[in-house]
Amino acid sequence: MSTPPRPAVEVRDLHVRFGEIEAVTGVALEAYPGRATALLGRNGAGKSTTMRVLAGVVPPTSGTVLVAGHDVRRDPLAVKRVVGYCPDVGGLVPRATPWEHLQLSATLRRLPDWEPRARELLERFELGDVAHRVTAGFSHGMGRRLSVILAAFHEPEVLLLDEPFDGVDPIGVEATFDVVADARARGACVLLSTHLRELAVQVCSSALVLRGGARVADLAADELAGEAGGDAYRALLD
Amino acid sequence: MPTAPSSTEATTAATAPMAQGAADLLSRLWRPVVDTGHLVRFRARSVRRPRAVRIGWGVLLLITLTAAIAPALWSGAGSTSRATDTLTLVPTFMAGFLVLAVVSAVASGGGRELLPHEQAVAFPVSPTTDHLGALLMAPLNIAWLLQAWVLLGAAAFGRGTEHLVWLQVVLVLWLVLATAFAQVVAWTMEAIRRTRHGTWIYRGVVGATGLGAVWLQLSGNLGPFLDALPTARLLLAALGGFGLPWLAAVAVELALIVAAVVLGAWPATQAARRLPRDEQKVESSTHQARPNPAGAFAMLARIDRASVWRAVPMRRGLAVLAIGPGLVALAGALPWDTVMILPGLVVSGGVLLFGVNAWSLDGRGGLWRESLPVDPALVFRARSWVMAEWLLAAAMVTVVLASLRAGAPTASQAASLVCIVVVIVVQVVAVAMSWSARRPFAVNLRSARATPAPPIVMVGYSARLATSTTLTAMVFSTLSRGAAVEVIVLFAVPFLCWSVVRWQRAARRWARASDRAMVVTTVAA
Repeated sequence: MSTPPRPAVEVRDLHVRFGEIEAVTGVALEAYPGRATALLGRNGAGKSTTMRVLAGVVPPTSGTVLVAGHDVRRDPLAVKRVVGYCPDVGGLVPRATPWEHLQLSATLRRLPDWEPRARELLERFELGDVAHRVTAGFSHGMGRRLSVILAAFHEPEVLLLDEPFDGVDPIGVEATFDVVADARARGACVLLSTHLRELAVQVCSSALVLRGGARVADLAADELAGEAGGDAYRALLD
Repeated sequence: MPTAPSSTEATTAATAPMAQGAADLLSRLWRPVVDTGHLVRFRARSVRRPRAVRIGWGVLLLITLTAAIAPALWSGAGSTSRATDTLTLVPTFMAGFLVLAVVSAVASGGGRELLPHEQAVAFPVSPTTDHLGALLMAPLNIAWLLQAWVLLGAAAFGRGTEHLVWLQVVLVLWLVLATAFAQVVAWTMEAIRRTRHGTWIYRGVVGATGLGAVWLQLSGNLGPFLDALPTARLLLAALGGFGLPWLAAVAVELALIVAAVVLGAWPATQAARRLPRDEQKVESSTHQARPNPAGAFAMLARIDRASVWRAVPMRRGLAVLAIGPGLVALAGALPWDTVMILPGLVVSGGVLLFGVNAWSLDGRGGLWRESLPVDPALVFRARSWVMAEWLLAAAMVTVVLASLRAGAPTASQAASLVCIVVVIVVQVVAVAMSWSARRPFAVNLRSARATPAPPIVMVGYSARLATSTTLTAMVFSTLSRGAAVEVIVLFAVPFLCWSVVRWQRAARRWARASDRAMVVTTVAA
């Protein structure tokens, strides 16, 4: 009998508090290598805050968060080395070009010969012709696509995509699907937060539903498919 | 219930549409004023610390009343030759205030926004409302306030208590008139700048104005020019107290204020109809890839430099701050001990363009940048370095321009100048990085009208910066009159040490994950 794989992301009793507001109240979740897990829930359910904690951007107030075996509280730098993060809002430095974003990431991650992969990703997401244009003039969809590129660029062990489909055209959605498939194929763990249930079902194998800052369901993604899945999902949100 | 038309109904029927039309017109004209009131109330309700803001307003009012009254109670006020000399300068101060108001409004592309553009797009805010909002925001600027206080104070000392109230009424109206007029000029310039060849026309107008001012000074015509200004007549009318000349002066001022406020709406509307070309040019600009940098620090500094130098408000602000005082010093052939004051003003003004909220440069990219594997201390050092070199560049432009007619400096003057520039840059960077880590704000520094913090906060910041840098400059200006070079350098050491301590404290705060998360999530909001 084979032993179950060790989770790439392990969260136990996570609490995140901003002043008087508790954004995350005791979330517990596990996500595994080679799998894509959807993080679903209503606005304010704590999805983005959980993602920010996993990316090492926001420290947890309490609880245990291990990413690829690294404790985010004790060793956030190690976490940042293994994570690729597409934030929910913007995610781009307004007056830098896409190429400069990639160059910054490559320099800080010590990536050798990064240029061919950068070009390939930019072409795949149809951003090759604006690679040297400042991002301030980008449309929302272009910005989202570039954020996905920046998250996936260094082939991270854990890929965190927060609302990657928001305002993105079908070609961008397909390119994101490819990125997720590539990540899974090389054994990376993908966590994807979105409000678009049908897309989540297509690209993910499992789903976690958060409500009021806590996890309320952990189920296979196909259980949320179709009309019946939609009803089940709505029931979880209420 | 009437069953037949009365004798008056025919007339009523004919005049009703006219009356209705007039009421509609009046309502349309009045609507921007009402909307401005709504926006002011919205801003007032959305401040983070209302008590602190109320105290701030109280302090401003107190200082203004003190400036307008206290000098009149000083010994010699209104009676000595010094008082007479001061009073003689008041028309020049009035003209100076007008020039400053115009420069400030033009440089900020029509004045500050009552509601930032990004927030205002969801509401039907008309250009006229925007114009009225910019007028209200104009006094929330330390340069405006300082000049206003100097003007009121000089008038109070020059006149004494006799007829003071009547004089100050005329001067306060002058402040309003100059601000409204500046707004008209600023909107007109902005409307021109947004036309096809507008940038060149704008540069031509600014260049010609600058050359005209230099010519006036160099040809010795500045004195006669200032004497011929209508501000002198206005002052004379106000000095006699309540009477026909005073009433005429007030009536003229009020009429011109109304005219300027109403007139300003037209160029404001024209500007709003045209695309902001400078911003669009920057946002669609391309920058070819450069070779990979030597290390992480160089790369971080490169991105930060791009954020600063590719921003319209920073470029315009730097040009005005660095070149303006330099040209004034050049035209006036200011001596070195006066030139010493300039770097402090330039640096403290420069840091207000982005430095007091330095992490806002990343905007919404802050979240992604924070997810990169890099030592936060290195990020902090790179941001501080880029800020320092930017401020140093501004100070050097001013000093070089000022030096052209200041003659060769003595050893004391040269040492003082070097020390003052270094000390003030380090001092200001330390303060700005400290404020940036403590009180971040979500702002979009895209527009020339953007400020890195809310207006009332900016007033507080600028007052504190101006005070500290001016005091520091005064120390070195005094030393430049003959102190030994070693002594001057020795004086610089404690200033630098204190600033380094403060900078390190800010760096430690930034290194704390929870504090950093608060900053990053705030500026990315």
